Amino acid sequence: MAQHNLGTVIRFEFVRTVTKPRFWIGTLSVPVIMAIVFGLIFLSNTSSSTAAEAQRNAQFSISYVDASGLITPADAAAFGATAAASSEAGIRDVRSGAVEAFYEFPAHPENTAVKVFGADKGVFENGKYAAVAQAMLARAVAMRIGSPQLSNLAAGTVQVETVTYQGSEVAGGMNSVIPPLAFLVVFYGLVVLLAGQMLNSTLEEKENRVTEMILTTLKPTTLITGKVLALFMVGVVQVAVFASPVLIGALFYRDALNIPEFEASQLVFDPARMGVGFLILVGGFALFTTTLVAIGAVMPTAKEAGNFMGVMIALIFIPFYSVSLVVSEPHSPIVQVFTYFPFSAPVTALLRNAFGSLGIFEAVVVIAILYVGAAVMLRVAVRLFQYGSISYTSKVRIRTALKAGSRHAVAGPAEQ
Amino acid sequence: MDEAVVHISGFRMDFAGTTVVRDLSFDVRAGETFGFLGSNGSGKTTTIRALLGLYEPTAGVLHVNGRPFKPEHGSRLGYLPEERGLYKKEKVMDVMTYFGRLKGMDRHAARQWSLAYLDRVDLSGKAATQVDKLSSGEQQKVQLGVTIMNRPELLILDEPTKGFDPVNRRLLMDIIAEQKADGATVVMVTHQMEEVERLCDRIVLLKDGTSEAYGTIDEVQNRYGGRVVRIRHSGRIPASPHYAVTLDETNYAELSVSDNTDEAAILRELMDAGVVVRSFTTTKISLEDIFIRVYGEQNTPSSPVATGVGMRAGA
Ligand SMILES: Nc1ncnc2c1ncn2[C@@H]1O[C@H](COP(=O)(O)OP(=O)(O)OP(=O)(O)O)[C@@H](O)[C@H]1O
Ligand SMILES: [Mg+2]
Repeated sequence: MAQHNLGTVIRFEFVRTVTKPRFWIGTLSVPVIMAIVFGLIFLSNTSSSTAAEAQRNAQFSISYVDASGLITPADAAAFGATAAASSEAGIRDVRSGAVEAFYEFPAHPENTAVKVFGADKGVFENGKYAAVAQAMLARAVAMRIGSPQLSNLAAGTVQVETVTYQGSEVAGGMNSVIPPLAFLVVFYGLVVLLAGQMLNSTLEEKENRVTEMILTTLKPTTLITGKVLALFMVGVVQVAVFASPVLIGALFYRDALNIPEFEASQLVFDPARMGVGFLILVGGFALFTTTLVAIGAVMPTAKEAGNFMGVMIALIFIPFYSVSLVVSEPHSPIVQVFTYFPFSAPVTALLRNAFGSLGIFEAVVVIAILYVGAAVMLRVAVRLFQYGSISYTSKVRIRTALKAGSRHAVAGPAEQ
Repeated sequence: MDEAVVHISGFRMDFAGTTVVRDLSFDVRAGETFGFLGSNGSGKTTTIRALLGLYEPTAGVLHVNGRPFKPEHGSRLGYLPEERGLYKKEKVMDVMTYFGRLKGMDRHAARQWSLAYLDRVDLSGKAATQVDKLSSGEQQKVQLGVTIMNRPELLILDEPTKGFDPVNRRLLMDIIAEQKADGATVVMVTHQMEEVERLCDRIVLLKDGTSEAYGTIDEVQNRYGGRVVRIRHSGRIPASPHYAVTLDETNYAELSVSDNTDEAAILRELMDAGVVVRSFTTTKISLEDIFIRVYGEQNTPSSPVATGVGMRAGA
């Protein structure tokens, strides 16, 4: 009976959330905005990468002066550039429209800026002027060096591979940090996006006066557990929707987006860190959800509950402000406090876990704190909801509700 | 004790030091329709909430089917709370199936039952309507439907007619009567005394935090002197040891008399005092009379209060 009711509650809560247009408007707006941003990056990259070729086809006319003496007439000819009489003449030509771009190469381009003057073509197009000026200078230098290898080295395009050892094992470096760090990203995403819903999930029963019907039909534990699980499922859906443009972008447009080459095969999935990360994620999510649900059970309206939400959200950002400390000095007292204080624990521990500074003993303690904390908060939420939510319009006196709860709990087994 | 579906004894309820219910005891027997009466604020809703485990009683025993009520016992309860409400943003059918499922029906049965019910209460076109797009009376009908889903064995209705027009009030009374015929035990809180007289087998009257009267309607009527003399007249009604004047308007008065009083003697006494009597009838005391008599004396002049109570109940 209880099992079947739990399923009914999860289904009802999940379906009614994901079938609301409001949910999809909110959820989809994030990837749409991300897609637009990626689109803009894509467009501007496209324009700068093709700028040099476009120029070779004399897409725009160039004049230049060269005080460095590096640019030979042959280099200039390759770009279709003509020498100007003076800087003033060159700038005048640009302003009058006689040429589209004028470059002033300084005597010491190694420490003085090349000046580029061009006819305005809009923010995205204007990048081509600078790209071509750099290409001209690079070509001139390469011709001077006379060897493609040397000029590549001179440009600092050197590949380095680092291998570090953790004991006798090869450490994964950044490639082993990224996979467990994903749990942190997911945690932030879930809490920030779902905090409002967590808070409102029991407020709705109160504001709509459904509590009495619900509480006489259903065990409050079943209701609250069902709501928490439904929220988790909603969170999974949202994470999937948000992740989709990132994944699509990474898989199909990697080059265009200039995403650094992370070959999936190079990522190191350390089973211990992944396991710990997953457990902290689930425990942290459970703790935050049950806490917010408990707050919702005490507050008479969404407006008053909103104030408390800010505090909870701030708690997950505080460790983030000291991120460098968390990463570099994991054993400093402040980081220890953040690690074991239940509400800052998920973020701190997930960070330390990703960077490999969370010992197995510490991990076990943190995970225990989170799960015990979540279980306690679930009980508190249930009590507050059970004995508090009929005071529809006033704030619940927490002490009274909890006292009633414990007395009830004591009487419970005897009644059975 | 075994046949008592609801058993309350020595119930006491304090809110932050204020005692709302002092010492209340009564039983509701299987299959009966029980009226739970009392003035506004006398503690009826509080008692029901404590009975259903929504409030923690300060003291006393409150049992449903021989043990404290817990939703998971699966005792088929139909509870219509005083504070009504449904999930406002959901469709009527979704809300009804949800509660049907929670009450142990399967999805299909819940849908079928809901469709039939909506049809019966003239809401057949509204199954896919969002609850908050219904009028408040229509929402009440949906809520009543949710209450009687899955053939409840015990129906607890806290002011069920609140917000219904006369036609729907009749419909509601029919539904309650049907449930009763179907074997349900019904406990209802109402301020409509005619409803109580028509429907209830027994009643309890709550006053000053304890039961003022408890028993069948006949028993309660007998306890309150049993009879009322209604007279149309002119002249002043004199005081007398044989009756109590409960209402004295210019041309109309009500006297309460005990069952064994000789009515002819009263009539003679009035005429001797110079009262011109145009009509003189004796009837059994009505519940409304009793209600006014019991609660009227808490407040100053009795008749204005009586009207006040009547208006509150009808609203
Ligand atoms: N949660 C509460 N906290 C404090 N006082 C309460 C609470 N609930 C009820 N009361 C008080 O208890 C008294 C009885 O209220 P209750 O709702 O039981 O009356 P009632 O008999 O149902 O009245 P009505 O006929 O108006 O519905 C009132 O004085 C009310 O103010
Ligand atoms: Mg009431």
